[in-house]
Amino acid sequence: MRIQVFVLAVLLGIASGLPGQTPVVNTSLAGKATTSKSFTMPRTLDGHPDLQGTYDLATLTPIDRPAGQGQTMTSEEAKKREAGQQKRVAQGDAKIAGDRTAPPKGGDGSVGAAGNVGGYNYGWLDPGSSYNVVDGQIRTSLIIDPPDGRMPPYTPEAQKRIAAMRSRANSDATESNDPGLDKTPGAYDDPEARPLGEQCLLGFGSTSGPPMLPDYFYNNLHKIVQTGDSVMILTEMVHDVRVVRMNAQHLPSNIRRWLGDSVGHWEGDTLVIDTTNFTSKTRFRGSTENLHVVERFTRTGPKTLLYRFTIEDPATWARPWTGEMAWYATNGLIYEYACHEANYALGDILRGARERDREQGAAKAGK
Amino acid sequence: MKFRLFVSVLCAAAALFLAAPPLAAHHAFGAEFDSNKPVLIKGKLVRVEWVNPHSWLHIETVNAAGEKEEWMVEGGSPNSLLRRGVTKDSLKIGTEVVVDGYQTRDHSLLRANGRNITLKDGTKLFLGSAGTGAPDDPH
Repeated sequence: MRIQVFVLAVLLGIASGLPGQTPVVNTSLAGKATTSKSFTMPRTLDGHPDLQGTYDLATLTPIDRPAGQGQTMTSEEAKKREAGQQKRVAQGDAKIAGDRTAPPKGGDGSVGAAGNVGGYNYGWLDPGSSYNVVDGQIRTSLIIDPPDGRMPPYTPEAQKRIAAMRSRANSDATESNDPGLDKTPGAYDDPEARPLGEQCLLGFGSTSGPPMLPDYFYNNLHKIVQTGDSVMILTEMVHDVRVVRMNAQHLPSNIRRWLGDSVGHWEGDTLVIDTTNFTSKTRFRGSTENLHVVERFTRTGPKTLLYRFTIEDPATWARPWTGEMAWYATNGLIYEYACHEANYALGDILRGARERDREQGAAKAGK
Repeated sequence: MKFRLFVSVLCAAAALFLAAPPLAAHHAFGAEFDSNKPVLIKGKLVRVEWVNPHSWLHIETVNAAGEKEEWMVEGGSPNSLLRRGVTKDSLKIGTEVVVDGYQTRDHSLLRANGRNITLKDGTKLFLGSAGTGAPDDPH
């Protein structure tokens, strides 16, 4: 399928226009999750809710609300958009000419992260097929606070910092967004100048988190395992495990971790995870290492959890902001994602850069 | 940085109204592959690396000089294929395939991106039953 899936949810929102009826989202952050009627909370031996299982976060609901959309959409609207997505998948899977020729020289006109050389067929992907539902409302964004469903603006300080980061090789980016070649000086000088995703250190966007978010692409599975004193969360891509220490103190501030230091406690039937101590490289949407993430997990039904996250980093945003989504249990298995096993791409990228260095050197010598 | 991605996402969303590009991946395709080196590879599968972060299909073909060559073609993560019911038994060694893509920027490597990977008649590979293990329809 010829669709840039990173933007699929955004596109669907924009392309489909405005929903006619927009029920009001409950943006109360009191932390009370609505549970299904006639649902008996499963509990572990110590009496706490049993959150264990494998969950698939793939969804068509984007993190930020597309411009011009209401807070929720009607079932009819959602079905229409979901049918549009099904159609795209079907088109992507459709047969093409067997006796075709090579693509055009100079590029095939693709835009986005794949640059002008294109990506690969839809069959490889699993970006989600339905919109996320919380409290019976079909959501148009994961972000619920601010009420416009969008990340708050960056502070002036953050804008300066992010602009400065953009002028350096993007080793702290989670993924590549080169629409061709990255012109940033030094971007291809060594493996460590490459984005973390390309180095196989972290997944796309914020899959490992926290906050743990969908990537709108593939491999959105997470597995939760509980013991008396720890909660473990395995993220399929890139095979990261968060070990949440229950009722513990945070590590000293000089100890920094890629996924931060997570400690948890129960507030009634809700698991609350507090994460600090990030490294200066794990920049969630341009945040600093002082990012503070609070996640709340509440079982709301036999097959659903409510996942709510609040982001705080005064050096980046003037106010905290919050999002939420249902995590749907799946019978699917989490597969190993041994990212370094065959990361030929990174080598190819660096070899390509060395070829260009030689060509440029030869061109200079010839002048 | 997420900010750059965000800007890129918006630009790409706008561009989608004009063009329908093939899918992107999380690494720098534009830096890995050379848009001035389009290739069409026809041949038999001799090896498939079902590995992350990207699968690689090895295809034996014959070049213009009549010599055998083995090309490597990059696909996506194999995990989603498994979820569509595709296993190593679905894609047999010896299968005749056709791939269109672009060669790596290092031309000494016989590698290309699998922009379209099909059987000889143009049927897309990897068509399993979608939805295996997918969550229940929430509404």
